Amino acid sequence: MAVVKEEEFDWHTGQNRPAGVPDAIQFIDVHKSFGSNEVLRGLNMGLPEGKVSMIIGPSGTGKSVCIKHIVGLMYPDSGDVVVAGQSIPSLPDAELFELRKKFGVLFQDGALFGSLNLYDNVAFPLRQHTEKGEDEIAEIVNRRLGEVGLGDANEKMPNELSGGMRKRAGFARSLVLEPEIVLFDEPDSGLDPVRTALLCELIKEVHAENGGTYVVITHDIMSARRVAEYIAVLWRGRIVEAGPSQELFESENAFVRQFLSGESSGPLGME
Amino acid sequence: MNELLALPREWLAATGEIGRFMGTVVGDVWGGRVLHFFGETLRQAGILIVSSTLVVWALMFILGLVCGTEGAYFLEANGAPAYAGVFAAWCDLREIIPYAFGYMMAAKVGTGIVAELGAMRISDEIDALEVMGIDSMTFLCATRLLAAWIVLPFVYMAGMGGAFLASYIAVVQQVGFVSSGGYLLIFWEFQNPPDFLYSLIKAMVMATAIVLVGCYYGYNASGGPVGVGTATAKSMVLNLVLVHLIGMLGTQIFWGGNPNAPIGG
Repeated sequence: MAVVKEEEFDWHTGQNRPAGVPDAIQFIDVHKSFGSNEVLRGLNMGLPEGKVSMIIGPSGTGKSVCIKHIVGLMYPDSGDVVVAGQSIPSLPDAELFELRKKFGVLFQDGALFGSLNLYDNVAFPLRQHTEKGEDEIAEIVNRRLGEVGLGDANEKMPNELSGGMRKRAGFARSLVLEPEIVLFDEPDSGLDPVRTALLCELIKEVHAENGGTYVVITHDIMSARRVAEYIAVLWRGRIVEAGPSQELFESENAFVRQFLSGESSGPLGME
Repeated sequence: MNELLALPREWLAATGEIGRFMGTVVGDVWGGRVLHFFGETLRQAGILIVSSTLVVWALMFILGLVCGTEGAYFLEANGAPAYAGVFAAWCDLREIIPYAFGYMMAAKVGTGIVAELGAMRISDEIDALEVMGIDSMTFLCATRLLAAWIVLPFVYMAGMGGAFLASYIAVVQQVGFVSSGGYLLIFWEFQNPPDFLYSLIKAMVMATAIVLVGCYYGYNASGGPVGVGTATAKSMVLNLVLVHLIGMLGTQIFWGGNPNAPIGG
């Protein structure tokens, strides 16, 4: 394990301001390395149930790695990840696959299946995991595609869609099983500011309508301002500070203040 | 010394990893878990039929012509043109056509699987399957293996028929040193149904290895598009080595002790 220099964590108060609800997801002293690169370095983080939470932080600081730990695509070298009261690293495969049915995940580029058209992509989880007939599936798929503004693109193949459309389609697919937890891996990456704003509005609307725990990974502060109810600021593999978004935006912590205001001067440099 | 041993160690580890992967996929088919995705299996079988059958048959037919032509001229040069059927029978059934099948399977099906699964891996599609609660290895690899087992025996048998026809055309119609009846008498004398079964087993072992190697390299691809290209190249190299190893072992096992050649007493 790499030697930890404590001065790297001068700004990490690790302060976790209460959100008033229990945590749906907990990281407990999680360490994760890739070769000599230690990405998560004793991460302690709780993400509250029923809220839209954002994990924000500079690029390469381990945000996407967090999502992969939550869904069990990666396991920590040490520490624990607890989701809905269950320790992900300790779950046998069969139970993990069962638990994953409670998740919806929107990957960076949508991760649509290239061999299926849009309709079949969104219908895929329903056909695999439910006994619903085609009529009922069609009703759900068309409703979800309508919600994300793709009601007339049923027959299109993923390679015929723009980046934004693929993200929206991925969002529709992640919602069809009405998951308890929805994870978004940088939904704003590669989108222009207007479409980012529209996607953020969509996330808020769908959350207001369906409820559930939403976790959004981003380094875009405007997205955080628009959508987040709870924010965890991640840097160098640990939480700097976490809490309800309004309190974080008013934080006195120099790193949090610099990052959330997008200023060039402060603890975060180009290194 | 340690450095000298590093490479063999690495190969051994990779072989073990490939072996474990293959065992898991075969176990998924054998244990029936793949039947949860029978629809996908049928889809893969359909893709195999539509996209690969003609090109496999084409190569088998062309090499059937080669066997016939070689046999006709070689035996004519040795004063026994009437025995061109011996060469054609053995060349077609035992050696060249199983290899032709293996080559085209490796080139068309094996590399296709690596490219498709590799692209799915780097575009997060495999991760997407996993987080939907679907066992991606069963869904992607076991279904392809079962589809191959369902479709390829028929493809191979029909292709062998095409190769027999091609050899007949080359020997009797094109070169013409022997009559149709004379050729067919010898051609059928030097093979029997067990030979055909052995040939089919040889080809299906090759096909199984090719599909599994393709699945392994595609499923575990990393490093973006370049990584997928590298994985495709590696799979082709390994598949060509395996095709020849399986061909050699098959000949030794099935005909090494008893060549089934009705010559002499």
